[in-house]
Amino acid sequence: MLRFLLNRLLTAIPTLLIIATLAFALLHATPGGPFDSAKRMPPAIQASIEAKYHLNEPLWRQYARYLGDLAHGDLGPSFQYRDTSVNELIRQGLPVDATIGFCALVVAMLLGGAVGVFAALRRNTTGDYVPMFFAALGISLPTFVIAPLLILVFAARLHWLPSGDWVYGSITHLLLPVAALALPYTAYIARMVRGAAIEVMTSPYIRTARAKGMPRRTVILRHALRPILTPLVSFLGPAFAGVLTGSIIIEQVFGLPGIGRYFVQGAINRDYTLVVGITVLYGALIIVFNLLADLCYAWLDPRVRLHS
Amino acid sequence: MKRLLALAAMLLAACTGGNPDTPAPSSIQVGTTLAADQSMTRALLGMPRSLDPTLLTDVDAQDVVDDLFEGLTTIGSNDDFVPGVASSWEVSADGKTWVFHLRPEARWSNGDPVTAADFVYAWRREVDPKTGAEYAQALSPILNAAAIATGKAPVDSLGALAIDAHTLRVTLVSPTPYLLAVLADSYFQPVPRAAIERYGDSWSRPEHMVSNGPYVLSEVIVGDRITLNKNPMYWRAADVRVTRVTYYPLDEDVQLSRFMSGDVQFTSVFPASQFQWLKSQLGNQVMTSPYLGVQMLPFNMVDPPFAHNRDLRLAMTMALDRRILSDKLYQGVQLPAYCAVPPLPNYTQQLPVWASWSDEKRHAEARRLYAAAGYSAAHPLHVQLDYPSGGANVADFMDALAAMWRVNLGADVQPYQEEFRVLLQNLRLHKSSLFWNAWIGDFPDPFTFVQLAQKDFAQNFGQFNDPQYEALLAAAANEPDNAKRYTYFERAEDILNQEAVFVPMLYYATQHLIKPYIKGWHANLQDRMPTRYLYVLEHQVR
Repeated sequence: MLRFLLNRLLTAIPTLLIIATLAFALLHATPGGPFDSAKRMPPAIQASIEAKYHLNEPLWRQYARYLGDLAHGDLGPSFQYRDTSVNELIRQGLPVDATIGFCALVVAMLLGGAVGVFAALRRNTTGDYVPMFFAALGISLPTFVIAPLLILVFAARLHWLPSGDWVYGSITHLLLPVAALALPYTAYIARMVRGAAIEVMTSPYIRTARAKGMPRRTVILRHALRPILTPLVSFLGPAFAGVLTGSIIIEQVFGLPGIGRYFVQGAINRDYTLVVGITVLYGALIIVFNLLADLCYAWLDPRVRLHS
Repeated sequence: MKRLLALAAMLLAACTGGNPDTPAPSSIQVGTTLAADQSMTRALLGMPRSLDPTLLTDVDAQDVVDDLFEGLTTIGSNDDFVPGVASSWEVSADGKTWVFHLRPEARWSNGDPVTAADFVYAWRREVDPKTGAEYAQALSPILNAAAIATGKAPVDSLGALAIDAHTLRVTLVSPTPYLLAVLADSYFQPVPRAAIERYGDSWSRPEHMVSNGPYVLSEVIVGDRITLNKNPMYWRAADVRVTRVTYYPLDEDVQLSRFMSGDVQFTSVFPASQFQWLKSQLGNQVMTSPYLGVQMLPFNMVDPPFAHNRDLRLAMTMALDRRILSDKLYQGVQLPAYCAVPPLPNYTQQLPVWASWSDEKRHAEARRLYAAAGYSAAHPLHVQLDYPSGGANVADFMDALAAMWRVNLGADVQPYQEEFRVLLQNLRLHKSSLFWNAWIGDFPDPFTFVQLAQKDFAQNFGQFNDPQYEALLAAAANEPDNAKRYTYFERAEDILNQEAVFVPMLYYATQHLIKPYIKGWHANLQDRMPTRYLYVLEHQVR
């Protein structure tokens, strides 16, 4: 187990290095620079800015400098927001995305899981068709449709909830973004759990348990639930990494200070350090959550063994 | 997304039994006395990149900095420029030397007096290449500013001298009748030397910032909000009613939804394509007024097909139906433009003669010129129209232009969208034949528009070069009498029309949504509305 963990973490280092290198190279290859603007500045000023951000150095030296700073956990200054560092931006944005993402996934797991099992147990009846119709609808409706609709109904028309903004500790500010983000995940999980539940519930060992007279509730909770959750785990690993690094649509529509928005704005404004920093962070999160997913997999399914 | 919002609103109206065409009853009851809580919320189109007046580069930052800092002059409540830190001034007969007398009661937020040395320090910092101020050329009316910014003169040679703590002498390159207007710009505002020397770049963060305007910086959350509190040390603090203002950086559709929810009380923009619907729903909460900006399409004047082909340029210019563009795509918010300079007080716009012709006559003449330029149905013009991505309605607008040229001339114009920075690079390399450009005037003076075709001006992307035009601008630069100066600009603008250097399309308009209980807003050409002029009336949301 320990060897497995160490091995996975060590292989993460070259993976992150490749991610950082590719992101760095692609961004610098993109036309236009971070300080280009419609009003052209005098060459002396341009040179001064480039010197300040080391943009006047050969690319390999900029890269070496970036990697050196990265090794110390310093993602550099933001080119876009001149009095702010990338570390600060991530420190500011990550908790926002983490809170909304975590809440949304918890809601999605509980609700989606319950609906999926409910539908599977009523296979090919109205109790299956109705929730699965709504699940298909939830998957089909993009977030950029759901989020404005939620705002229109609950903020603009009913004035029950705020239409956006981020206020630490305020539940009311969380509700609409969490609902908008949770809906497609809930729908997806419901369908996934339904499929898994049908497969598990028709398997011989469940049939055996039921034939031995075990109550239905016990069969589900003790014998069926863990295998039903197994496919969910492999889905949740990348999903957690995804929501932690922000949903650009949710952040945009609700005006939230998440790193998804920073990332997109950074790419448009050629904020090299910000974009590379967030890309590396996303890579690291994917690696960590995939690792956690593998560990959960082994815990849920005794047939799975961890090999280095 | 704006279409979606409109659609969603209509669906919602249908579900709740309402009719989107019927004005909704006002849900806000407004009293006549001031509200006890004088805090308000405003929206910006984007997050300011910096709140350092010397370094700022965007309109959004200008709005916030107008609340934080005050220059020698400041924008008044009637679209004029009034004394700010300077209480009075004198100007020499040749218009090149100004002496400003600073009011002794002006204070920084830490209680220190605002002195002439603060202005000298701020301006030298702006033009010093070491600072890296992207818009240092804004100070070019001041003697030696341009030379210092290009590294050709020492910083202390700048034409600004503190005679004593409250007297500042400014020496100019040439008479600059619009000086009082530019002095209200952020680039001319003072900055706190002690804080900058102590904290470096981070002096503009809330924990370190010292400001001299009506507000102090309280909180900045990048991508979410900027909060300012009233500055009790401001010399006119007694006239400032709003005690706390929060700015939210939001795109225009989100500004609309926040406004409809009551979470934002003053937007910086609204979707022009929904103007009529918004008017029907919100009535007088929808505000528009002329804005000092123009949308245009410059021609590449040195490469084919437009170089040395005035007939073709004129044909392209005349073939567009600006009224349709204005009415159908911007619902009458942006107004048709037939010449480069928007309407300005005391300036006579040089409208081309065809501007008043009927559509039929104008199209016929455009077709004649198109044929004279050597093009026909068998041999049509093929050209690419480059434009930047991201603007509201922009793709529809470009398709409409292409359709008008196709129908009215038979020309084949292909709109091509590029990322702004890529387009900018292409324009600097003069790769484009026909391209979209927009210009917002830095100050209310025709010069800010006619300079777009000046030979050495960085934004003369079309590379127009005409000795007669240059001579007129040079004569204007040395003319202290503003009325005479304007006649030079009128003649210059006439040349732009005759040569069809660019296709003027539409003049911008300010677009705000303002809650009925927020008062004090007034239309102004530069769309600058400092919070100190606003106030909140008692109101009840039902």
